[in-house]
Amino acid sequence: MRVVVDLNRCQGYAQCCYAAPAHFELRGHEILFYDPAPPEAARGRIERAQQACPVRAISVEGIDLAEEDAP
Amino acid sequence: MPEDALFAEVLDPGNRADPYPIYARLRRTPVARQRDGAYVVSTHAAIRSLLFDPRLSSEDLPPSRRPRTGNPLKDWLLNPIRNRVANAHRPLIFRDPPEHDTLRGFVMSEFTIARVNGLHGRVAALVDGLIEACRGRDTVCLVDDLSYPLPVAVICDLLGVPEQDEPQFHAWATRLATALEPDARRDEEARRETVATFDAIADYMRALIRRKRRQPGDDMLSGLARRDRPGMGEVDLIATAVLLLVAGHETTVNLITNGMLTLLRHPDELGRLRADPERAPQVIEELLRYEPPVHFRTRKALGDIAVAGTTIPKGAPIVLLFAAGNRDPERFPEPDRFDPDRTDIQHFGFGGGLHYCVGAPLARIEAEIALVALCRRLRDPRLLADPPPYRPGASLRGPENLGIRIGGIL
Repeated sequence: MRVVVDLNRCQGYAQCCYAAPAHFELRGHEILFYDPAPPEAARGRIERAQQACPVRAISVEGIDLAEEDAP
Repeated sequence: MPEDALFAEVLDPGNRADPYPIYARLRRTPVARQRDGAYVVSTHAAIRSLLFDPRLSSEDLPPSRRPRTGNPLKDWLLNPIRNRVANAHRPLIFRDPPEHDTLRGFVMSEFTIARVNGLHGRVAALVDGLIEACRGRDTVCLVDDLSYPLPVAVICDLLGVPEQDEPQFHAWATRLATALEPDARRDEEARRETVATFDAIADYMRALIRRKRRQPGDDMLSGLARRDRPGMGEVDLIATAVLLLVAGHETTVNLITNGMLTLLRHPDELGRLRADPERAPQVIEELLRYEPPVHFRTRKALGDIAVAGTTIPKGAPIVLLFAAGNRDPERFPEPDRFDPDRTDIQHFGFGGGLHYCVGAPLARIEAEIALVALCRRLRDPRLLADPPPYRPGASLRGPENLGIRIGGIL
């Protein structure tokens, strides 16, 4: 599966890191490292990360949670 | 009802069961001045812009004042000093940068991913035990039976507070949570009582921290109490520990109870969650939008702030009405409909900006495990009373208890 994080929108809330620690990592306070191609088996955790993001910065192939008015 | 008295209506306990129509009227004026000079912010866009505005201060509490004792040494020397110390070392939800950021950094360094996610098994076992204890009964009182004991046991575990001490600070925690309500702050007597309660719980924490320093465990409090934390003195450490303990008591309770209440009012959604526990994350995010545990927080304007056509003057109290922003029709189509399938759930259920709820990941774990288990294991659950009785708080809003008739435990 494919994952894209809109790093302009990301505010470093780190909620994805708790939801899917193997695929998202915050270094320092604001640098997000993430796995752009996690295995299909991780889908549950990735979707949790996507749902938990307070600014909806995470896009997962096939699931679109984007919103119209980006900050 | 004139517009400048609407927030008084929100605070009126008579409107606790359904404050949403009042929120809808407040939203007609996104930033509405009230008679007492406070500005209530109720639209999604205005709340969001203010959450990221550095001209908003969280140091909005009135100064603490210890009650007169009649002992001149205390009244004229000791208590004024203690008041000044308490005012200078408030917990981080009542602090601004840079001190806030330092204190929050220490908490985050202990609120590690491994520690929080490691609680999964413990939460599941607790939920299992609490539900099992209801076997043989035909009613469940959700707050007493699960929503309250679960988060309390978890926060005690996480902090390293002995669980047998819990009854001792149960009343303290309730009292300090009440102190967050705006009407409690205006009442002089209530404020004094809050100070006395804080002194009692602080004494308890001071003794516990001393024990942790002698015999550190692998809990959060032992970690926070390490002496290599510049910027967090003894008083800050105690305030932080009390904050975490109280926050762990009073908020997740509402998330679980409001969650079950909402699912019981939407039996189709309850059935879908029972059949497919993988729906839990989206159900919980929608719950955080639709029935959030915390309805508003207050701030103070550090300068004149123009927002949504109104200028909030310097020094004015500001109410960020998160629960109203969560139901803003400009932001969410059909906002009053509970719909876990909506794709856009950018809610203020955990606040936002630099004070975003530290405990959010833990709350999500507890709510998910509890709600899935309740849906799967309670046979034929039905509400005994709708609406249920509510606790008095308008900000930390939730049912006093939630009676559920059941046909057994599965």
